[in-house]
Amino acid sequence: MKILVPLKRVSDPDNANKIKVGAGKVETTGLEWKPNPFDEYAVETALRLTENGTNAKARLGEVTVVTFGPKETETTLRAALATGADKAIRVDTTDDAIDGDLLARALKALVEREKPDLVLLGKQQVDGDANQVAQLLAEYLGWPQATFAGQITSEADKALLVSREVDGGSIKLRVTLPAVVSVDLRIVNAVGVTSMHTPPTHKYSDGVRFAALMAIMAAKKKSLTEVKLTDLSPDTALKIKYTGFDLPPARKAGVKIKTVAELVQKLKTEAKVL
Amino acid sequence: MSKPISAINRYKADLRELFFLAFEQFGLTELLGKAPFDAWGEEEVRQSVSECYRWVREVSGPLNAIGDAEGCRIEGGAVLTPKGFKDAWKKLYEAGWKSIGVSPEFGGAGAPKCVVLFIEELLCGANTAFTMYSGLTYGASEVIESFGTEEQKHLYCPRMFGGQWGGTMCLTEPSAGSDVGAARTSATLNPDGTYSIKGTKIYISAGDHDLAENIVHLVLARVEGAPAGTKGLTLFIVPKVRTNKDGTLGTANDVTVGSIEHKMGINGSATCVLNFGENGACIGVPVGGDTKLNQGMSQMFKMMNGARIAVGMQGYSVASSAYLNALEYAKERKQGASITHWKDATAPRVSIIEHADVRRMLLDMKSRVEGIRALAVKLARHQDTVDALTATGGDDKVIAYHQGQVDLLVPLVKAYGSDQGFRVCETAIQTYGGAGYTRDYPVEQYCRDAKIFSIYEGTNHIQAMDLVGRKLGQAGGANLQAFLGDVGKFVAKNSEHPALGAAVKSLGEAAQATFAASMKLLMWFQSGNLALVPLTANRFLEMMSELAVAWVLLDGAVIADAKKTGLAEGSPDIAFYAGKVHAALFFARNVLPGVEHKAKLMDLEDKTPLDIPDAAFATV
Repeated sequence: MKILVPLKRVSDPDNANKIKVGAGKVETTGLEWKPNPFDEYAVETALRLTENGTNAKARLGEVTVVTFGPKETETTLRAALATGADKAIRVDTTDDAIDGDLLARALKALVEREKPDLVLLGKQQVDGDANQVAQLLAEYLGWPQATFAGQITSEADKALLVSREVDGGSIKLRVTLPAVVSVDLRIVNAVGVTSMHTPPTHKYSDGVRFAALMAIMAAKKKSLTEVKLTDLSPDTALKIKYTGFDLPPARKAGVKIKTVAELVQKLKTEAKVL
Repeated sequence: MSKPISAINRYKADLRELFFLAFEQFGLTELLGKAPFDAWGEEEVRQSVSECYRWVREVSGPLNAIGDAEGCRIEGGAVLTPKGFKDAWKKLYEAGWKSIGVSPEFGGAGAPKCVVLFIEELLCGANTAFTMYSGLTYGASEVIESFGTEEQKHLYCPRMFGGQWGGTMCLTEPSAGSDVGAARTSATLNPDGTYSIKGTKIYISAGDHDLAENIVHLVLARVEGAPAGTKGLTLFIVPKVRTNKDGTLGTANDVTVGSIEHKMGINGSATCVLNFGENGACIGVPVGGDTKLNQGMSQMFKMMNGARIAVGMQGYSVASSAYLNALEYAKERKQGASITHWKDATAPRVSIIEHADVRRMLLDMKSRVEGIRALAVKLARHQDTVDALTATGGDDKVIAYHQGQVDLLVPLVKAYGSDQGFRVCETAIQTYGGAGYTRDYPVEQYCRDAKIFSIYEGTNHIQAMDLVGRKLGQAGGANLQAFLGDVGKFVAKNSEHPALGAAVKSLGEAAQATFAASMKLLMWFQSGNLALVPLTANRFLEMMSELAVAWVLLDGAVIADAKKTGLAEGSPDIAFYAGKVHAALFFARNVLPGVEHKAKLMDLEDKTPLDIPDAAFATV
């Protein structure tokens, strides 16, 4: 099975240096970056689908990771290569030159070029939280889609049973490849992915695997190619236009209330909830 | 009912600091991508360190408090390690962190020593006790790699470097501690050329455990008829289970665990009494074969540099996390009002980091931790230069200079790193107040774990005697002269620095005082006033360490001060570089002046500890 996994670096939510807004845009100077967690889950899922979990060293498929960004985003790709991905592609652009729709159109072109059986994505990015690329991409490709996957079972080489997380429970969908699947947090549970290559009794460690030292050393020998955005999508017009950014208003200081009567009074006259 | 100890990680490290040392202060990049470090670039270093940090926080860090509370136990004559250690051991070797410094011949990544030091700091700081097992295994394997026969190397090294078999160093005996030469363990030649080993070794770290399928003990023993003292000691390979040439295991080798110690700290590490040959069936062979009899001590000594640097590193690894935890607590804990409102009982409560004395403690810890780490990295950088020059046929004189600095700095890093490491942990507890004394926070364990560092691998007094007795006069005093010369060059270049000039000048004064004190020691040696040497050796080691630490801190501060100009507004490096400057200034103003004072104390030639009669110490 050939799997394409798009991944993105996002500003670390634990950043000591908080996001600033200036001149109608988000100021990214000095931010620290990390891979989008849901994308890391997608890489982990792809690796589990293309190996025998009891002998993860032998690859039984191909995982290609792709990111859209400037040169320094190659660090994110190298890290994915170090955990086991087979090759990487960087589409040269910057964050403010793309939106979800352009990304989906460019990915469509990339899919036609790379011919994967499956595109696995994180369900959303933890910076923009738009949750739209998987859906748009499936539509543009005319492929079946299954979003928010919490469990995936590969039934045969060309079919997946996907358990989707929905309000109040889960829905199981059987998708025929090629398909687009986006993953949720639970996919990286010990038994989130059941691959036809791995004995069903095998249990993974919860979470995303570690990169072993020797794999880090070997990552730079793996293929990492650069592609121009215009080669994938000559039309680079954005559908989303940002008109301005503001920080949420700062919280006002509260007041201390001395009596219950005063509280009731305030609830009536100020909060107007009584 | 006591509170349960939970498996959560408390270990913290500041990776920005490590990368500053490697790439901004000590120019590691110059050595990368070239022999013998061809495979290494900056990105590999950053990724390895970052990934290892993630690994320790998720795998071994959460076991630190559990291992401390649970300790080791003996069942059926075998040591069982605390819950989770076995799984973590497997994961450690799968991840490959112990292979980072191993030569590619034995499946390693051949990293520079600076990088190995970073990885070891993360492993050790997250869980000192757990790291003992792999540390001893690594050290024993290195001995075999350096001195073993080809057959021994290929049998033992891949398996020990890979974690399949463990390893130990068995030196100490009930009546042979610091005085190793008094060892009584005997080795008797058998008709087949092997030796029968008989004796008892004590305080053997990782002496027995359930992590690996075999344990390879390196045992100092005396062959019958060998000279007395250290000259007659041979180092033997004595596996717990006998090994066949193809690496399969044979029968038990009559090595038994007498008991394990109940200790103040590192409770997850089994400290064993080992009995060899109680039934006359313990077989060993000399490391390097029969031509290497009576060379045990020199073999051990060649490996001792690495082990002593590692112990100094243990000191600052734990201290660093103690500091960072105390810092986090100081930012969160609210207590008391600002001193500017001391008369106002209704003034708002502030975080304790706003109190002057808490700030003093925090900066004191920061400067010591970062300064000692920088000194250790400087040492490792000298080692890396030696390795790089040796691999490329560099100038012998240059190699000798770098090796000389390594030899000179080893006792400083070991003794000052371990002494101060313990004291930083103590200061961390003080920063927390009563909370720090409880097991709700990690600092009391850090403090207990850290105490052993000043004792094992040669007590800190042995380090001090090594410094004054061997290292000062080594190469005719050239190593010390080169060291002081380097300090002098730094002072000459930076004494007019606008922000740091005054501190740099006081560094020059401390260097003068240290040089004068070294001359004084030489005079005592020559004039037969030997008794003063052990009385002042520890003090001299401290003086020279404080000089060296102040130097590397100021050197880093000069670099940081230059880099902080021109940074974009909002860059986190602004605060980082400011921290480097403040730490250096604090140390230079609050610790460094003590060097001259200590030199004056040495001038007093006080002998009261010798003059006092034994009976006068106390009436009981």
